[in-house]
Amino acid sequence: MSTAIITPTESSTHPTAGKYLSFLLGNESYGIDVLKIREIIRMVDITSVPQMPAYIKGVINLRGKIIPVVDLRIRFGFPNCETTERTCIVVVQVRTPQNITIQMGLIVDAVEEVLNIVAGDLEETPDFGTQLDTEYLTGMAKVKGRVTSLLDIDRVIIS
Amino acid sequence: MTTTNYMEVSCRIEKLAMEMVFTQPGKDDGLLPINSLLSEIEDSFSTQPVPEPIAQAVGLARKWVDAALEEGFFSTDCLARLSTWNQWMQRALQTSAELPLPPFPPIFTVVASTQVPNPAPETLPSVEPLPVSLDLAENADLLREFIGEAREHLQEIEMGVLSLEDKPKDEHTLHSIFRGFHSLKGGSGFLNLGPMNRLAHELESLLELARQHKLDITSDHIDVILAGADALKKFMAAVERQVEGSEPPHPISMPIAALVARITDVVQGGSGEPDQESGSTTSSSAQITPETNSELPSPEPHPEKRNDSAAEQEAPEQRSIRGSVKVDTGKLDSLIDLVGEMVVAQAQVLEDPALAKLESQQLARNLSHLRRISNDLQRISMSLRMVPIRSTFHKMTRLVRDLSAKAGKLVELRLSGEETELDRNIIEELSDPLVHMIRNSVDHGIEKPEVRVARGKPARGEIRLRARHEGGNVVIEITDDGAGINAERVLAKARERGIIEPNAELTEKEIFALLFAPGFSTAESITDISGRGVGMDVVKRNVDKLRGKIEIESVPQRGSTFTIYLPLTLAIIDGLLVSVGRERFILPTLSVRESFRPTADMISSVCGRGEMVTVRGQIRPLLRLHQYFNLQPDTTDPTQAIVIVVQSEGQDRCLLVDRLLAKQEVVIKGLGETFKNSRGLTGAAILGDGRVGLILDVNSLVALKDSASLQE
Repeated sequence: MSTAIITPTESSTHPTAGKYLSFLLGNESYGIDVLKIREIIRMVDITSVPQMPAYIKGVINLRGKIIPVVDLRIRFGFPNCETTERTCIVVVQVRTPQNITIQMGLIVDAVEEVLNIVAGDLEETPDFGTQLDTEYLTGMAKVKGRVTSLLDIDRVIIS
Repeated sequence: MTTTNYMEVSCRIEKLAMEMVFTQPGKDDGLLPINSLLSEIEDSFSTQPVPEPIAQAVGLARKWVDAALEEGFFSTDCLARLSTWNQWMQRALQTSAELPLPPFPPIFTVVASTQVPNPAPETLPSVEPLPVSLDLAENADLLREFIGEAREHLQEIEMGVLSLEDKPKDEHTLHSIFRGFHSLKGGSGFLNLGPMNRLAHELESLLELARQHKLDITSDHIDVILAGADALKKFMAAVERQVEGSEPPHPISMPIAALVARITDVVQGGSGEPDQESGSTTSSSAQITPETNSELPSPEPHPEKRNDSAAEQEAPEQRSIRGSVKVDTGKLDSLIDLVGEMVVAQAQVLEDPALAKLESQQLARNLSHLRRISNDLQRISMSLRMVPIRSTFHKMTRLVRDLSAKAGKLVELRLSGEETELDRNIIEELSDPLVHMIRNSVDHGIEKPEVRVARGKPARGEIRLRARHEGGNVVIEITDDGAGINAERVLAKARERGIIEPNAELTEKEIFALLFAPGFSTAESITDISGRGVGMDVVKRNVDKLRGKIEIESVPQRGSTFTIYLPLTLAIIDGLLVSVGRERFILPTLSVRESFRPTADMISSVCGRGEMVTVRGQIRPLLRLHQYFNLQPDTTDPTQAIVIVVQSEGQDRCLLVDRLLAKQEVVIKGLGETFKNSRGLTGAAILGDGRVGLILDVNSLVALKDSASLQE
C-alpha cells in the first residue's frame, strides 16, 4: 500500500484541540475531527468493486450519490471484521492529494461520542520505531482515563 | 491615461453607445442616461490629465447634450453628432493606449455641419496592435463569462451570415449579426481586449451600412465577415486557454491590420462609398434612428439558417420567444440525482408489503397519483439537459460552404430535424465526428461538377444531414448523392495497409467497417481537409465514447449513407442486469447481441484453458466474468449459466454470467476519484432496490483478458 508522499510541513501536523468524534475499532478508541464528518449511517449493503484492495469494501448509494466505503478495520489490520448491531458507516469528507474533496464512508465497529478535547489532553504520537506506522495519527488524547488515537483522515484514506 | 481610467471611460463610452440605440429624434428617450454617463466620463477625466483632443471632444458632447436637455428632446442633428462622437471616442481611446492619438478632427467644432468626417482613416492600424495580456487575477470571472457569451454571439453571427447568402437583405439577420458584433465590441472593450474590440467595431460598421441599405451584401462581404468572425474566434480560443489554465498566461497577439484593410476595401469596392463610416454620417441622420428603432421591438430575432427553405418568408421565423434561465450544471445534476432517488424511494414505498395488506381505494388512488407525478417529474428533469441539435447542424453549413469552395465542388447541404433534442454533453461531443463525416462526404463522396454531369447527375451535389428520434435513440443520418464507396478499392487498400489478411473474404458490411480501422484512408490525394489517414477511426471512437454505433450503406455511383445511433442522453443507459454470485452488473444493451444457455456440445477449449463457444457455426472466445472479478459464482458449469454475446471492437465475444435478471434503464453515475483506474467498469447505477450496480465496460473488459492481467 503506497502512501502519499509527505512533505516536511505536512508531517509536522500537531494535534489540535477541538471536537472529535470517537469510535471503536476492536476495543481501541479513535477520533476524527468532527468538521470532517458528514453523517453517520447504519450498515447498508455494499456493492463490492472488483480489482480493489481488500480494505476498499465497495460503493454504497448515499441518497443518489455513489460513494466508496473503506473498512477501517481491514485498513488497520484488525483480524475480526464481523458486522454487528453497532457496526456503522461514518461518512467523511476527505481531500485527495489532487485537492479534490470527496465523500467517503468508513466502516467502524461502533460510534461512541463527540469528545471535547482540550490542549491539556493532547500528546504527540509516541515513536514506535519501525514496528508501527504512525504517519496517519496526529496525536493521542487522554480523556476520561482512556487513550484515543486521533486520525488524520485525509492521510488514512489516500493510498 | 491610466489603465483603470481608460477602462472606466471606455466602458462608459460603450454604455453610451448602447443608450444611443434607444434614442429617437424628437423624443427624450435615453437623454437622461446619456447625460449622466457623460458626467461620469467628465468626472473620470477631471482627476487625470487627458490628451487635449479627448478633453475637447468631451466638452463638445457636453455642449450638445446640454442643448438637448434644454430642448427636452434630441434633434436628429444632435443624434448624428453624438453617434459620430461616440465612434470617434472609441477609436481615440483605443489608439491612445498604443499609438499616438489621432488628430482631432476640426470638424467637430463646426457644430452646424452634419458632414462630420471620420477619424478612421488616420487611426487605421498600419501596424499590428500590441499583443493583449490578460488580467487573470482581476478579470478571470468576467472573462469566463465573456468567453461563453462570445461563443454564442459568434455562432449566431456565423449562422446569420450564412443565411445572408440566400437572403442578403433580410433585416432580421442583418440586425442580429450587427447586434452580435456590437456585443462583442462592448464586451471586449470592457475587458480591455483592444484588437478584438477594434475588429468587432470594423465589422459592426460594415453591418451598420448594410442595415441602412447603403451596402448590398455580396459574397465578398460575407467572406470578410466570416474571416473576421474566425479571427475573433481564434482570439477567444486563445483567451479561453489561458483562463482555463491550459496555457500559461502570455500576451495574445491578434493580427488584424490585414483584415481591417480588407474590410475597408470591400466596403469601398462593394458600395462605392469612400469609407464605411463617412457613409453612415454623411447620410441624413434621420435615416439612422428610425430604423434602429424599428428593429428594436424584437429582442430576440432568430437568425436561424434555413437552407432548405429559401422560399420561406419572414413570418415563420418569428417564432414565439421563450424565456430561458442559465442554471449551474452542478445544481441541475443534483436535482436530477434527487429526482432519481425519489423515484427509487417511491418504488420502495409502493412495494412495501405492509402497504399491500391495506385495502384502501383512496390510498391506491393517491399512490397512483403520486407515481404519475413522480414519473412526470423524472421525465422533465431528464429533459432539462436536452438541447436541440440545431446549432451543431448549422455549423456544418459553414463547413460545407468552405470545403466545397476549396475542393472546387458544388455542394448543397440540406438539414432536417434540427429540433431533435439530445443531451447537451452528447451534442458537444458529436460536433467533431460530424465535421469529419461531412468532410469525408464533400471530399470523397461528392464528385466534381464535370464528373457528375458526365454521370448524368445534377452538377450540384447534395448532402443531407438528418436527425430524428427512433425508439429510445437519436438517429443522425448523413447522406450524400456522390460516388459511393468503392468496396473493391477499400478492400485493396486494406490489404495493402495490412489491415486484413491478403486473402481474407469479407462481406460488404465487413468491408465498410474497414473504413473505421485506424490508419485507413482512401483519399487519392492528401488534401488539407481530409485524407490524412485519420478521420473515420476517430469518428468511430467518438461515437463509441457516446455509447452509440455507426453504420454505413453505400451504392456505387448513387451515394452513401452514414447512420449514427446515439442514446438520448449520457445520463441514462439501457442495460441488461445480470448477476454473478451475489453481485449484480449492468451490461449496456447496445453492446449485447444475444444471450442463451449453452449446451455442453457448444463449449470447447484450447490448451485446457482458452474456452470457446460455438454460436451458429462461429467460434467465439468465452470469458468468465467471475474470473475477471474474482467472484464466487453460483455455478462454474456453463450449461447451468448464461452466455451473453457481446460486441466489442467489431468482434463478438461471449461472457459467462450466472443469471439474467432484467432489462432496465438506469441512471449512470460516475464511480468517482477512488475508482478512476479500475478497468472493466464505466460507472455505476442505483438499482430499483436502492443498491448500487456496476456498469461493465465491455471493451476494456475484453482488453483485460487480452493483456493477460487476469486472475493475477
